[in-house]
Amino acid sequence: MKNEMFRKRFLLSLLLFGLVMIGFVWPQSGQAQEKRDFFKIGVVTSLSGELAFGGNVTKRGYDMWADTINALGGIEIAGKKYKVNLVYADDQSTPATAAVAGERLITQEHVDFILGPYASGTTLALAPITEKYKMPHITGSAESPLIWKRKFKYTFGTIPTVTLIAQASIQTLAKDVSPKPKTIAVLGIDDAFSKFAAEAFKTTAEKEGLKVLKYEIVPEGSDYTPPITAIKALNPDIFAMGNHEKAAIEMMKIAKELKFNPKAFVQHYGMTTPDFRKGLGKDAEFVFGTSVWTPNLKHEGTTLFKTPTEYANAFKTKFGTDPDYTEAASTAAGIAFQEALRVIKAKPPLTQEQKDALIGALEKLNIKTFYGPIKFATEGDFYHDNAGLQPIALQYQEGKTVEVGPGKLRVVAPKYPTPSWDKR
Amino acid sequence: MELFLQTLIDGLLIGGLIIVVGIGFSLCFGVMHIVDFAVGEWVMVGAYVSFLFVRHLGHDPMIYLPLIFFTFCACGWVIYPLIYRAVSGKRHNPVLMGLVFTFGISILAKGGALSVWGYHIQSITTWLSGKSISLGIATVPALRFSGFAFGILITILFMIFLYRTKWGIVIRATAQDRDTANLLGADVRKVGAFVYSLYAGITGMSGVLIGALFSIHAAMGAKYCTLAFFVVVLAGMGYVPGVIIAALILGLLQSFVGVYIGGRYNLVALFMVMYGVLLITPKGILRKGI
Repeated sequence: MKNEMFRKRFLLSLLLFGLVMIGFVWPQSGQAQEKRDFFKIGVVTSLSGELAFGGNVTKRGYDMWADTINALGGIEIAGKKYKVNLVYADDQSTPATAAVAGERLITQEHVDFILGPYASGTTLALAPITEKYKMPHITGSAESPLIWKRKFKYTFGTIPTVTLIAQASIQTLAKDVSPKPKTIAVLGIDDAFSKFAAEAFKTTAEKEGLKVLKYEIVPEGSDYTPPITAIKALNPDIFAMGNHEKAAIEMMKIAKELKFNPKAFVQHYGMTTPDFRKGLGKDAEFVFGTSVWTPNLKHEGTTLFKTPTEYANAFKTKFGTDPDYTEAASTAAGIAFQEALRVIKAKPPLTQEQKDALIGALEKLNIKTFYGPIKFATEGDFYHDNAGLQPIALQYQEGKTVEVGPGKLRVVAPKYPTPSWDKR
Repeated sequence: MELFLQTLIDGLLIGGLIIVVGIGFSLCFGVMHIVDFAVGEWVMVGAYVSFLFVRHLGHDPMIYLPLIFFTFCACGWVIYPLIYRAVSGKRHNPVLMGLVFTFGISILAKGGALSVWGYHIQSITTWLSGKSISLGIATVPALRFSGFAFGILITILFMIFLYRTKWGIVIRATAQDRDTANLLGADVRKVGAFVYSLYAGITGMSGVLIGALFSIHAAMGAKYCTLAFFVVVLAGMGYVPGVIIAALILGLLQSFVGVYIGGRYNLVALFMVMYGVLLITPKGILRKGI
């Protein structure tokens, strides 16, 4: 009796499972031939795992673009407006999953183009997939120079590489503060982005005549107390951290616990995000960072958002927080696609010829946006990267990030040296 | 000398944190032969629950330690029958079943935490946060020291309980030979539920300390799972007293390698030690494991 009931339950479960599987497969098999009057855009980013916060930074930027253009009726092509529909795929913060997620969006969802992940490691895994399937792909976040050195034909990026961005804070500290710092120690995390941030800190410091007392790359997720103890013993004037927001919060907490008092803390990327501020509270004060965009810049946009302030206000109304440069760059990635589509006058769904034409249009693109000019390099080490933006040094002062340099970009004087922990 | 002393203190304090995570995990394995893959997720949920207590009720998170202990004991008590079912009966490889089942719990907890509490990185601050005791030539971070003291205290209480009480004898008998203990009247299922609750309670509490020291997010548990495995292998599978020594060795190893050789070699050193122990003394450094 019991066995019979069990068998019935088993068959019922099997039937249900079969129905669910059919449900998954059915609409997808029909999509190859579908006709639609909207653009279907795949987004691969980290919605879970270690980098879930950063992934959502890019998501907010992409959503901002999609919702704004849809509110205007969509992208206007040859007199007709086409809405955009973002299809998200979670890369779970791991490169292998990013590749699988990208492949799924291309082969099963049949997206028209792809907006890329938050982290450089996942972008480096996704780019060969978009290359294989000849799928246009713009990342609004990844900063590793490795991506551009590999010269992927189908991958573009709106943010300059970290090797350019990270220079700003070190240049400001080397030239614009008094008494001038003489020494620096650099601690970076071993991932495709962070170690290049650390390396950029190091090479800029050497170029500016600072003595590098220690340069250390450590694995993500380890206890950062030992390397910070070793750095504290060297007593550097500047302590520079190449990492993401989570590790940055942890390193700052450890520095405070160990009473490590350098004259300046420098961090990239994360100090511009609300979680860094919330996680450290008033201990975020005096930390230096770097950016390529702030709402105070004087860019003039010709499409979607006219000025950085207009974007910042719209963003704050929608999400309740101030946008940082990664969010702005992610929105700009959408704008780049939108303008390139207008140039080639392609209607959805895109054919392979139109996708190739889109690459040509992106290479020739030269537009002004609220985020700054977008012009992708077509040769050299920054191939397909929007490398022309000016990096800005930031510092936390009275709970806000303010522009402190370098040179003429200064809005407020940098506060230097940072008071010791017991005098804050 | 200053650097050496600071490195030594750092190592001991890192070890202290590993004790807190490893102690319940070791007991769980020793008594029930369950390798709980969700150990890190108990830490993560413990950290989130303390964060919620602080957000909604205020006060210092340390005050909620007893409340978190009992809450998590109750959770462990509720979940245990499911685990028991997965590892008992006619299954050919109960240890593997337990591993797979708890791996599922771990994925569920991570996904659940992300859905319920979101992607933001959270922080909790205790009155000890950022404070330190200056010894002149070295600094002892107060919160880490409290974690260390907590780990040692928990282990001592555990040892007293295991070796000086009737329940402790029953638990040890069950760990030694489950079937014979059962024949002699020990309610193996009840012992298992009790131990699993205790493990969940202690590991949940460790989440409060870890959350205050670092940051709180859904994926924070993974590294504690790895550390718990390291410590149990080094201590000897299921040998509770070995946890203190193993955790301190791991802490000191991380600290000395991090300072004198380089932080990048930390994991390499940990793995090399683990492989060495597995090859030379598979029963742990004290040769008292299973």
